[in-house]
Amino acid sequence: MAPASHRNGPPMARRPLQPLDITLRYGRGYQLARRLFLAFSVALTFGLPLLHLRAVSVEGAGLADDSPWARLIQWLPVVEVPFVGAPTSIVLFGIELVDPLVWLGVTLHRGVSWGMVWTLLPGLLLVVLLGRFFCGWACPYLPILAASNAARWFLSRLGVPIKDVKVPRVTARVAMVGVLLGSALLGTQLLPLIYPPAIIGREVFRALFYGSLGAGVFVVLGAFLFDTFVSRAGFCRSLCPGGAMFSTLGALSPVRIHREIPKCTDCTICDVVCNLGQLPMTDKLDGGCERCGRCIASCPTKALTWKLGTPSVLRTPEEKPGT
Amino acid sequence: MNRRGLIGALAAAVSLAVVPKRARANPKKIRPPGALAPGPFEQACIGCFRCAEVCPTACIRFPSTFSLEQATPHLELTDRACVLCMKCTQVCPTDALLPIAADAEVIAQEVRMGVPVLTRSKCLPWNGSGVCRLCYQVCPYPDKAVVLVGPQKAPLFVVEACVGCGLCEEACPDGAHAIIIEPLGTEIPKPEPIRRGPMRRGPA
Repeated sequence: MAPASHRNGPPMARRPLQPLDITLRYGRGYQLARRLFLAFSVALTFGLPLLHLRAVSVEGAGLADDSPWARLIQWLPVVEVPFVGAPTSIVLFGIELVDPLVWLGVTLHRGVSWGMVWTLLPGLLLVVLLGRFFCGWACPYLPILAASNAARWFLSRLGVPIKDVKVPRVTARVAMVGVLLGSALLGTQLLPLIYPPAIIGREVFRALFYGSLGAGVFVVLGAFLFDTFVSRAGFCRSLCPGGAMFSTLGALSPVRIHREIPKCTDCTICDVVCNLGQLPMTDKLDGGCERCGRCIASCPTKALTWKLGTPSVLRTPEEKPGT
Repeated sequence: MNRRGLIGALAAAVSLAVVPKRARANPKKIRPPGALAPGPFEQACIGCFRCAEVCPTACIRFPSTFSLEQATPHLELTDRACVLCMKCTQVCPTDALLPIAADAEVIAQEVRMGVPVLTRSKCLPWNGSGVCRLCYQVCPYPDKAVVLVGPQKAPLFVVEACVGCGLCEEACPDGAHAIIIEPLGTEIPKPEPIRRGPMRRGPA
């Protein structure tokens, strides 16, 4: 007779539940809107330099055609480029949006300039109202993070043990303060050198305009490898200085994930699906929530919903996921 | 804000006050027109590459190697000169490049990107090996920034009037490469004595 523990056959190989194992069943409209917004953001990252390249290629009569792209896009119309900018500072529909940390870096050096305060306000207002939405809706690193999560899922299917080291999230705030301090000490802006959205924008521009890549790709590659082999979404959660700034400001946002306790079956799916270490199943949430809505979409019993409530900055540490 | 955050913020504030504002490493680079002085420029530039995106000659470049300068624009004038369109000055979001009107008079007043350094021994009219006035012909401020002297019409560059656009450097024949725009603050060497050349035969 088989031992009791093997009564239903040999035990299945256990592997930790991965986000890709979880189906996003509900909130399809929300997820569609988020993905379209992300697609728009990525399209701008590639499209704006291409439109600019077309314009200067015509204006400079081919003088600036250093990359093969200039010849490949000759079918593109020459238009007045509708938006100007990069992922960290962009003019959309006539409204200038600047990353608050970029603004802070310049302001600490150069003092308050009223022109730049006006550019800061729209973005700041969005973050204070909506929270850390940039990270879940617009960051051009998101497709790379998705690739990293897919790689982790694939490796775990192959039976390769994958690590998920939980680096304390406070590290990101240390990085944020460190970047500002380092910029002050060295007399130059360090954020564009290590902040993935800034790097990705610059390297895409460089590839399209000059046909070459710069050292910034190694930072992004390092982040990808760290996320894949060391810590799931570890760069976004625990290292990204911009993410730390969005979390800090996002703690003022009144938007919160509400759990209807009678419906909740304590299945932990929402906690697993979250990239950023939020714990909706135990109502432990803070400014680190990137508004991706995947916990709501994955809840099998529809126990989670968006609600307006007390901003997490006013809540007790027991109501937050901790470091 | 918890205690750790408060201490961090205080440390940041104190360091910012204590560390002298006058910047530390200032690598000498040729910056786009309208750029703030070295030091303030690196502090204000956020590496958004808007200036390079609108440059019709793609003379605005970013270093591709690991360096603190990786996200700040500089000009490489040897292949590609600045045509003084002033578009880059209009798009800067942080005023690291101050807006300058695309007007020859205004540009002559406001823009100083680099200083012209002529090596007379390489310059064809100066070393007596030929006739050449390409630099004079392409200069946007002929007779002001560059004047022709002597019977061979050899160029003399006027540092005070030169905006540093690099059109002369681009035009200078490859074999000669006698005129180079150097970053602001470069000491201009004393002109070397010429053995043969216009001055030997007496000035005009």
